[in-house]
Amino acid sequence: MTAQRSFPSFSVLWMLSALKALFAAGLMAFLPFSTMAADKFETFVDQARGQSVYFNAWGGSPAINAYIAWAADQLKVRNDITLIHVKLTDTADAVSRILAEKTAGKTSGGSVDLVWVNGENFASLKRQNLLQDEGWAFSLPSFTYTDSAALPALISDFATPTDGLESPWGRAQLVFGYDTAYVAAPPRSASALANWVKQDDNQGRFTFPRPPDFTGTSFLKQIALEVVPDSSIFAAPAPADMDSADAMLGPLWAWLADVSSHLWRAGRHYPVNYTDMVRLLGDGEVAIAMAFNPAEFSNGIAQGILPDTVRSYIHEGGTLANVHFVAIPFNANGPAAKVVANFLLSPEAQLRKANSEIWGDPTVLSMAKLPPEDAAAFAGLPRGIATLSDAQLSHSLAEPHPSWVKVIEQGWEKRYAAN
Amino acid sequence: MSAQLYTAHHTALAAGTKVILVFVLTPVLAGLVGAVLPATGWFPPLGGDTISLSPLRTFLLEPGLITSVSLSIFTALTATTLSYLLAIGLLAVLVGTGGGAFLTRLISPLLSVPHITIAVGFLFLLQPSGWLIRLLSPWATGWDRPPNLNLVPDEAGWMLVTGLVAKEVPFLILMGLSAASQIDARRLLEGGRSLGYGPLTSWYLVVQPQLGRRLFLPVMIVLVFSVSVVDMALVLAPSTPAPLAVRILVWFRDPDLMRQFVAAVGALAQMGLALICCAIWVAASAICARVIRHICWSGWRLTTHPLLARVGRFWLSGLAVLPCALAAAGLTSSLIWAFAVIWRFPDGLPSRWGLAAWMMTSDGLLHAALTSLVLGLAAASVSVFAAVFWLEGVSARTRTGGQIGRVDRWAGTRAEGLIYLPLLIPQAAFLFGLQILLIWLGVDGMFLTLLWVHVVFVFPYVMLSLGPSWRRFDTGFTDLAANLGAGPWRRFCAVKLPILLIPVLTAYAVGFAVSQALYLPTVFASNGRIATLTTEAVILASGAGRQTLGAASLLQMALPLAVFLSADLIGLARFRRFSWFRV
Repeated sequence: MTAQRSFPSFSVLWMLSALKALFAAGLMAFLPFSTMAADKFETFVDQARGQSVYFNAWGGSPAINAYIAWAADQLKVRNDITLIHVKLTDTADAVSRILAEKTAGKTSGGSVDLVWVNGENFASLKRQNLLQDEGWAFSLPSFTYTDSAALPALISDFATPTDGLESPWGRAQLVFGYDTAYVAAPPRSASALANWVKQDDNQGRFTFPRPPDFTGTSFLKQIALEVVPDSSIFAAPAPADMDSADAMLGPLWAWLADVSSHLWRAGRHYPVNYTDMVRLLGDGEVAIAMAFNPAEFSNGIAQGILPDTVRSYIHEGGTLANVHFVAIPFNANGPAAKVVANFLLSPEAQLRKANSEIWGDPTVLSMAKLPPEDAAAFAGLPRGIATLSDAQLSHSLAEPHPSWVKVIEQGWEKRYAAN
Repeated sequence: MSAQLYTAHHTALAAGTKVILVFVLTPVLAGLVGAVLPATGWFPPLGGDTISLSPLRTFLLEPGLITSVSLSIFTALTATTLSYLLAIGLLAVLVGTGGGAFLTRLISPLLSVPHITIAVGFLFLLQPSGWLIRLLSPWATGWDRPPNLNLVPDEAGWMLVTGLVAKEVPFLILMGLSAASQIDARRLLEGGRSLGYGPLTSWYLVVQPQLGRRLFLPVMIVLVFSVSVVDMALVLAPSTPAPLAVRILVWFRDPDLMRQFVAAVGALAQMGLALICCAIWVAASAICARVIRHICWSGWRLTTHPLLARVGRFWLSGLAVLPCALAAAGLTSSLIWAFAVIWRFPDGLPSRWGLAAWMMTSDGLLHAALTSLVLGLAAASVSVFAAVFWLEGVSARTRTGGQIGRVDRWAGTRAEGLIYLPLLIPQAAFLFGLQILLIWLGVDGMFLTLLWVHVVFVFPYVMLSLGPSWRRFDTGFTDLAANLGAGPWRRFCAVKLPILLIPVLTAYAVGFAVSQALYLPTVFASNGRIATLTTEAVILASGAGRQTLGAASLLQMALPLAVFLSADLIGLARFRRFSWFRV
């Protein structure tokens, strides 16, 4: 009966950790946030020595996993921090664990020290007070290399202010990939795409991941931004009344009604996620797919998943762009996670991440704010054959307010997944 | 031996069974509380501090709920009925002719392969760009691009049914083989034939009703599993809308944490659905029993032309083997993908072979394989030990007293019913609550905790597999040893255990395979910090190409298969000299 015998030891542990938390809180009271500048960060670096950081991040990409393993090696050597990659199938698994810990009253010593998030997951964590509530991210030394005036998404994650609760890690933009073996000129707008999908030769050659998959929902957002005449409605929260919010998306529903029966498998079935869809592109089941990383199609060719006839493009009016972040849960351990976040944002780590032979995730740093030699190194990075140039990618659209996600997902579900 | 010593022995065993029960039931009950409270609106961390019906209302308004529920019921009942009928049919061939050992060998490895691996194999084989169409294209089909057809998943859910049947037929055959020897099926069969019934008729009319009673629990487990299956349904079931179990997982994983309430209601609804399916099964089998009795009383012999009967039997076994053959072909295509670098449609085989998929994922895979091996061996060992302890406890009680033995045996079976609870409650219903319990105890993320949670699921399967042989043991052997002066330990270790070696080995292998396949319980109990081959495979499947997916599938197959084969070999080596001794 271990369960019963462990109660006393559990309460002793709990008291110990509560004492520890009190002690730490007392210490923090003497460190007002405003003075927590570079020298304070140095104290973090000292305190962090010998600590472990459990970094919860999606683990489905061997390339990303290898990059995180590289970061772990560097942090071990430089800061004596042990970075452990907890590979997730879905970020929601970490969110649900943090929630379970809060429910069980575990206010310190949580199992997640750092988590890779953005958008809806961040908004949810912030709303439920599941994140460390001091705005630590703005005071990281590496943050000085960013320019949030030029890239507002650095401090406004899908229109939710980050308030320094998460530190930027990389940039993403919706890009489309097409197989030149089947598509001569790719359709560069929502209406051109609809016409392409309806052509006799292209029946069943286009699809998108089934919402609420992240890429699938993003595709619908992209179409909504293009077809709704007044796209300024998306900057504000959606109306609380679901019916009127749904009605505001009329042009999106009309676009979908126009194309759905011409989609892959007549719109009766959709790929589970982005990966599932890219496999279809590789097999020639579909001829156009989309991804949230500009280097993704080049990576797919390099791995043999995609034929080397695949190229990428974006819509003329620009495509959705956003930033992804790392955040620290309310009950995480010690300052080591901040040191890790700072390293991930450093020019050296960002340069390696942006290299398409390694990962190909665009940097969040501002070239103007970097030392010239670092900026030159970024300019000299190799690009894959199916990756667009920065100039080609410069047309971007801001993410709609996160409250629209629910309207889009439920509206789609009701129309296309309920019979 | 003195009566006092015997009683002490007896008390220890009885106390032991209670400890086992507490270990198995605590996680399930805590988990259920964790589902019931949010379902009624009570979840303080999310601001839910009043009991309300609003989660239920939101749940009922979910679009396509009726379709989801009927899809779940249809696939579960169809898969279970087909698995049962086909397994019984195959058992007729196996027991009736005695010449089916080859067939058993052929399909029993499927028992060790996780459901998700079978599902991925089906996809690789049967989808429009799958191996089958690749082999036939373009020379036979004229397709140089994959056709736009709803093959996998199909619109009605037949692919999910086929996948489930491929996995459950071997399980029911394993359970049925021991049940058949328990009721001396061969003698019943001869009895039926001497009364003028054909072989298949006497099997279905005379043997099947008795067999069915003994297979009741395994069939219920298959039914509940089928109605709540998630991993296989994600790959093989329709998605617009998906079966209820898949939708619960989607709600649990919704970034909007308010969906947790709907998910909790869904989990309870899932339990209700499982109960409804069981009730339908019980009612349907009662009706079938009446029909069979009526046929027997009416004296109707249902005779057909012998040739027709032979053809019928041939088709029946063909039908029974078909899902298993598809599964085997699917696994073969996974194997090819694992060593492919480039394999374009419509090539029948990869144009470039290599180990690229293995190189990219080598970090962590070796470690995960080692963890899986240690965890699986430990979980199977603990479970087999606990099962032997339990079964000895029950048999000691039934042998000590005359009249009270009967009462005790009844208590024994009632308590035994409880240990199957983890298999009879859909996992989605109790995993979140279980996670809260583990965190509250301060034991989450520890290897021993993970082992405990694995044992909760492995132990019932080991009991199912070991129980019938143990109860059938001829106590004459141990009585004789007692007369020769052997004490209880010596009787157990030198006589009983060696005779029951093969069932113990089989139960061990079954337990190992169950442990290997556990995905959600592993993620929830280990904080995601302990990686097993299955968690690695599922993560890789979420992001990598078919090559990597193939490699992950291969790894998932390899370990349980190795344990099954070793168990088989140990058994063969041990009993070569006196094969007549096999039980």
